Amino acid sequence: MACWYKETDKLNEIVISSRVRLARNLDNMPFPSRMTDEMFTELKSKVKSALEKISEQGVASLKFIEMDDIPENEIHSMVERHVISPDFARNSSNRAIAISDDESISLMIGEEDHIRIQVILPGSNLSEAYKIADDIDTALGEILPLAFNENLGYLTECPTNIGTGLRASVMLHLPVCESKGDIASISEAAAKIGLTVRGMYGEGSKAVACLYQISNQITLGISEKNAIDNLLVIASQIVDREKQNRNSIERIDLEDKVMRAYGTLKYAKLISTEEFMKLISLIKLGVSEGIIENKSIQPIRLLIEAQPHMIMRKYSVSNLKERDEARARMASEIL
Amino acid sequence: MLCEKCGKYAATTHIKTSINGKITEQNLCGYCAAKGGYTGFGSNSISNLLASMFGQSLQMSSGEEQVRCGCCGSSFEDIAKTGKVGCSMCYDEFGNKLIPYLKRIHGSVRHVGKTPGRKDLVVTNSNDPINELKAQLANLVAMENYEQAAVVRDEIKRLEGEK
Repeated sequence: MACWYKETDKLNEIVISSRVRLARNLDNMPFPSRMTDEMFTELKSKVKSALEKISEQGVASLKFIEMDDIPENEIHSMVERHVISPDFARNSSNRAIAISDDESISLMIGEEDHIRIQVILPGSNLSEAYKIADDIDTALGEILPLAFNENLGYLTECPTNIGTGLRASVMLHLPVCESKGDIASISEAAAKIGLTVRGMYGEGSKAVACLYQISNQITLGISEKNAIDNLLVIASQIVDREKQNRNSIERIDLEDKVMRAYGTLKYAKLISTEEFMKLISLIKLGVSEGIIENKSIQPIRLLIEAQPHMIMRKYSVSNLKERDEARARMASEIL
Repeated sequence: MLCEKCGKYAATTHIKTSINGKITEQNLCGYCAAKGGYTGFGSNSISNLLASMFGQSLQMSSGEEQVRCGCCGSSFEDIAKTGKVGCSMCYDEFGNKLIPYLKRIHGSVRHVGKTPGRKDLVVTNSNDPINELKAQLANLVAMENYEQAAVVRDEIKRLEGEK
């Protein structure tokens, strides 16, 4: 397994990453929004000891960390790396996380549900991601009494997650679909079969760098396998549309756009996050289409590492201008 | 930001009205927005949408005696206002009130996926035609389509007879 954004052999893919999330709750304990501090402490200790057992069983070895022990800047950078949700970052007091070394597996303890199991892998790898999450869930389900009802499935705090508690998503890079105005019709088609199209940072977020997440909405009355299959079918159709769109552009026009972006990233001295996202999307397109031949450039890794808190963490800078300068320096060195 | 009307819950709906060129703006929680009739258009938050949906029924049922969940103490009103269920027992306590919403959200009220701690059931559940039919039957009954439900029921009986 590899960290999802440090891709090396998947540079040409339109599917950037595949993610699976399972929402689980313990029986006999109120859901997080009705929990007291003592209950959170009890929840953490129960999950911690269950995780120790599944580690002994060889299912998954995860590092348990109290969120209160993580510096605030690091918490924000975890959101930027998709390790935790923005909601969890906002309410992280007395919560905990269990995480694998490569950050591909993370368990948020005390998010909207007691346990959120997340697996995120590079490229098109949804079935594998589900299998990993499923194994952890099965092992936890043998140790912890999970809230489950024969008719309604896994019970969750928000009724939109009830049933399988599964949210599966793929992140796609769709620069040409976006520029041709195809996203609206893609969203419409996806909605018809219970899928939704969102920006890079999930619910309510805007698309940055032409990255879109396609995910399932329906969790009751559909099996995990069918939900994932539906998603994969639609994702592959969208990928085909993007490919067709790319082929319909004259090569010289594409090359011009990509190389202008390359020039700016290489020589600019100050680059804001917003500008960086627009340019790096073109670099990604250029690498995918063989316009930029330097295989050591990993655009998605750069994109994540250029996020504000990631920059602050790496270069120990704080103000906006210093960040923009560090971002420009980083881009220039790598290109 | 808290709701400008009740001051109790987070404001999730921003309402901008323009009457004869005079623009007024309001920030309301899902419940107050629903009470004011601001529902059914481009909502960007799921819990807001849910609270609006619940809010509509709350208007109709207000005046009834309040029942509370024996486990977490939530009333249906609490769930409706926040769009969040209090605990797993609430689904038993308020099942009859929640089912119509689950049906609207998912188009189904019957789980057909995994069962905890029993890996074998994942495969059987999703591939067993009887289970899929049972789910269909539950949905048809919930939708009050009894004619079609009878057809599905007979099909289940036939398949079970073959086993």
